[in-house]
Amino acid sequence: MVHKLQKDMLVSEFCGMRFDTPLVLLSGCVGFGEEYTRVKGFTNRDAGAVCLKGTTLEPRLGNPPHRVCETPQGMINAIGLQNPGARHVVDEILPTLDFDETRFIANISGSSIEEYAEVARIFDDSPIDAMEINISCPNVKEGGVAFGNDPDMSARVVEAVRAQTEKPLITKLSPNQTDIQENARRCIEAGTDAFAVINTLMGMAIDIEARAPIIGNNQGGLSGPAIKPVAVLKTHQVYQVCRDHGIPIIGQGGVTTADDAIEFLIAGASAVGVGTALFYDPLVCKKINDGIVAYLERHELTEVAQLVGTLVLNG
Amino acid sequence: MPKAPGRAHDATDTDNPPTVTDTMPNKRPHRDTIHVENARILERAEHPGDQVILRVHAPQMAASAEPGQFAHIQCDPDLPLRRPISILRVDARAGWADFLFKVLGTGTRRLAERRVDDLLSILGPIGKPFEARMTHRRPLLIGGGVGMPPMVFLADRLREIKGAYEPFVIMGSEVPFPFEARPSQIVVPGMPEGVIAAMPLLDDWGIASRLASQQGYPGTFEGYVTDLARAWLDALDEEQRKEVAVFACGPHPMLEAVAALAREYRLPCQVSLEEFMACGVGGCAGCVVEVQTPKGPAMKRVCVDGPVFEASAVFPAA
Ligand SMILES: Cc1cc2nc3c(=O)[nH]c(=O)nc-3n(C[C@H](O)[C@H](O)[C@H](O)COP(=O)(O)OP(=O)(O)OC[C@H]3O[C@@H](n4cnc5c(N)ncnc54)[C@H](O)[C@@H]3O)c2cc1C
Ligand SMILES: Cc1cc2nc3c(=O)[nH]c(=O)nc-3n(C[C@H](O)[C@H](O)[C@H](O)COP(=O)(O)O)c2cc1C
Ligand code: FES
Repeated sequence: MVHKLQKDMLVSEFCGMRFDTPLVLLSGCVGFGEEYTRVKGFTNRDAGAVCLKGTTLEPRLGNPPHRVCETPQGMINAIGLQNPGARHVVDEILPTLDFDETRFIANISGSSIEEYAEVARIFDDSPIDAMEINISCPNVKEGGVAFGNDPDMSARVVEAVRAQTEKPLITKLSPNQTDIQENARRCIEAGTDAFAVINTLMGMAIDIEARAPIIGNNQGGLSGPAIKPVAVLKTHQVYQVCRDHGIPIIGQGGVTTADDAIEFLIAGASAVGVGTALFYDPLVCKKINDGIVAYLERHELTEVAQLVGTLVLNG
Repeated sequence: MPKAPGRAHDATDTDNPPTVTDTMPNKRPHRDTIHVENARILERAEHPGDQVILRVHAPQMAASAEPGQFAHIQCDPDLPLRRPISILRVDARAGWADFLFKVLGTGTRRLAERRVDDLLSILGPIGKPFEARMTHRRPLLIGGGVGMPPMVFLADRLREIKGAYEPFVIMGSEVPFPFEARPSQIVVPGMPEGVIAAMPLLDDWGIASRLASQQGYPGTFEGYVTDLARAWLDALDEEQRKEVAVFACGPHPMLEAVAALAREYRLPCQVSLEEFMACGVGGCAGCVVEVQTPKGPAMKRVCVDGPVFEASAVFPAA
């Protein structure tokens, strides 16, 4: 067996980008890239990539409070895409990030196809490493998941963004739809380079004393361990479509441990997202990376890629 | 004096864009300011009204905590989302920190079940602290219910600058106070007849304090903290009143009343706010409150843009 340094075992290539680890910090959980560096012991270097908060053309104030609450094995959020607008992100925030530490991915949103395209055009002329198209945000009235639930609309958004940029394009799919495989097929035809699977599931939590929803927006996106089995299945399903096209997936939804991450890799993900788990433990990435290395060694594998899509279905 | 800890650029801030120069790669003062510690519970005391005081060993947090900051605490591993709790006191040399909390729901109930020698995962210190300025040497500290802790911490810091400040602390509670009140040794101007009960810790520090409640506890002012504050302010002369700055933490209606009082007397006023939180470090924008800025309304994160805000930005004049 070739002997590799442990940290090299975690390195992979994703759409032509070098990921130092298979972990991707998820959009909406780490602000615009610097927030978690407040925590001693945390470093963006523990992640292969960091997805920035969903960004629209104009600034958005987002939804009224409360925006988050804990639910069994997870949480509901309805932030409503609060962001300072694409121009501000490119002009004021990107220059403050350290691109030596990790790859930074923009998460682009819009309420019309034109808006998605315009945001993509702004990011195309920036040092950003890649773009993730968020056609699955459940928390805004217009756009978002409305595009993601309809394969035709999804494909049109991807096509419009593709026309604006040569940078790697990742399409983020919603679990709140009937046929995720058909949607994936159409997005591949439209030119996506990769997928992120899945965004949050829609949910509600009720304050029984007030008989009102806890979340200001009434409903929100459910994330965390509660959604993991759904996310693993969807990753497996999308992988069936992607495999022959060589299109990689960032599997995500409820990952908190190395075992969770390995499940996603086996199901077909080439990289694994970590979102809600950071709220539980800001230093979780190091632990997941160490666990993945230990697993690879135990199974006499030398790199993460050897694990991707190795699922053996039962008879 | 308490100074603001390093802040990351406020990426969700649309009215106050960060400048490139103060966040250059070699100049990121916000980094490494919050610690994750597995803190052992050293002492635990129960008080009436479902109130608990915990002392934990958290030396890294204790070394840099400032009044107004909080810790984001995992109440129980089965309930992994953390709960924000203000820092009551720290001893940087001994490495401990105290918290006072009241059981409200599942999280705080689980926290109340934790025992001495248990380990608590603590993230802190977090947030923008209260900022006292020498120009206002008569700070008025008002704490309501579980809003008392930051006021004790602030009083502790103010006394360290010997003779520089002459603070007056008013604590309000509708459940029994989480300490044994006793008659004060310190004379306070304007106090109504019989309002003599004080917080012993503060009295021992030589800091004037009085208590307010609707419950008619002995020696306590029967009424609102703001009414007692007004009595004190009215007993000061014009020059003395100009030296007053107000600091408050407590339930929202109390803060609103305090802000109105400060506006009426034209006093600077800082308030500490609460909102549901997820990350606690500025990453999720889950904890925002609406504040007024010169450019219109903005949504600010309680965890890192606060929890302390200028009262005038949160409660603008009607
Ligand atoms: C900066 C800050 C400092 C605080 N300091 C103290 C303190 O020193 N002592 C103390 O007793 N309490 C304090 N609180 C309030 C405390 O965080 C809540 O009482 C606690 O989160 C309630 O959790 P629970 O699970 O028991 O209640 P539940 O009602 O079951 O909570 C459900 C959800 O709502 C959230 N939530 C409910 N009420 C509040 C609230 N008032 N503030 C924030 N989140 C809330 C919880 O975090 C949880 O996610 C502080 C809050 C903030 C924001
Ligand atoms: C507070 C919060 C905000 C989020 N904001 C966004 C967003 O702006 N854009 C997006 O594509 N996904 C957003 N998401 C979804 C996450 O990126 C991720 O897909 C989802 O939370 C599942 O992963 P997890 O269970 O590991 O958190 C958000 C999730 C959370 C919890
Ligand atoms: S709790 Fe996440 S930004 Fe404040």
